[in-house]
Amino acid sequence: MRVDWAALGIVAVVSIATSVIFTILLATGIRLVSAAKIKSNEGGSGTATVSLGYVLLGIAGLLVLFGIYLIVPQFH
Amino acid sequence: MIVSKVLLPAIVAPLVAGIGAALATRLAYRITRKTPSAQSNSGFKYGQAFTASMVALAHGTSDGQKTMGVITLVLIAANLQPSGTGPPLWVIITAGLAIGLGTYSGGWRIMRTMGKGIVEIETPQGAASGAATSATILASAHLGFGLSTTHVSTGSILGSGVGREGAEVRWSVARRMMVAWLLTLPGAALVGGLAALLAGQGVPGVIALMLLLAGACLVIYVFSRRHRITHANVTDSHEVLVLAAAAPTAYDDDPRLEVPPKPKKVRRPKAKSAA
Repeated sequence: MRVDWAALGIVAVVSIATSVIFTILLATGIRLVSAAKIKSNEGGSGTATVSLGYVLLGIAGLLVLFGIYLIVPQFH
Repeated sequence: MIVSKVLLPAIVAPLVAGIGAALATRLAYRITRKTPSAQSNSGFKYGQAFTASMVALAHGTSDGQKTMGVITLVLIAANLQPSGTGPPLWVIITAGLAIGLGTYSGGWRIMRTMGKGIVEIETPQGAASGAATSATILASAHLGFGLSTTHVSTGSILGSGVGREGAEVRWSVARRMMVAWLLTLPGAALVGGLAALLAGQGVPGVIALMLLLAGACLVIYVFSRRHRITHANVTDSHEVLVLAAAAPTAYDDDPRLEVPPKPKKVRRPKAKSAA
């Protein structure tokens, strides 16, 4: 019996890293967009913060699209 | 081969998903600690919707493909289909319908167990565990590991409970699920073997098998009606009951369960045979 530990290790590293990166992008995006909203309610300008927040959320969205690309065999 | 491709991944993948979800949940709460909860909740709700859809898609492609694969393999082995061809359209449609209708009819019970039974899921946890589940299934499927979506989901939901401070993880529920999984392997083997024996008896055997299966489905359905879980009450409680008698004693003081008193058995004295 030969167990492919390397493959299991790759799965572990890739899975954990992807979930952590996705969640960091999502949470940071939410935090920035919310902070910008609060700032503009107080009369300040939150344009830079809000755009950075949406960029991060967009990257998270791209990760989702890449996942769909991987799942659906018709795409590759 | 079986150990390396099926058994070991079946243990490792839920563990990996759990670790990923625990880390992700912890980070999600840490990052949004100062964000007003109404805004972070609505944000994570969208995230959860996306990751949950990913899990559903991954579930269909992995678990749905297994069903279609088995049917197609049988068709080829029986010379009803040339080897080297893919599954015919009717197999794709029936497998898809079966998996969809099964989830639709029994899904509320699973939803309660996964969303409230193991641990109360909040939106950041939902987004994190969905991400961990889809990432693990995708990475594993890429390397050809056979996995169950439910196993991986349970691992990441447990992990998201460990990752959130103050979350109460019901390890007893997780333990019961583990025991059930262990029982399904020999149970399915036994039922499969007996069914093959019966089906080998020719056409009457096949008909008898179909009737038995339909009867078993009906019995399960009738039992599930006793403690019905629908869209209206799915989030009311965390407990999924099959039989009132199976309620664990730890929850006996929970008024939501309303365990009816057991009817007293009237013992009829049997006439002793003189042997």
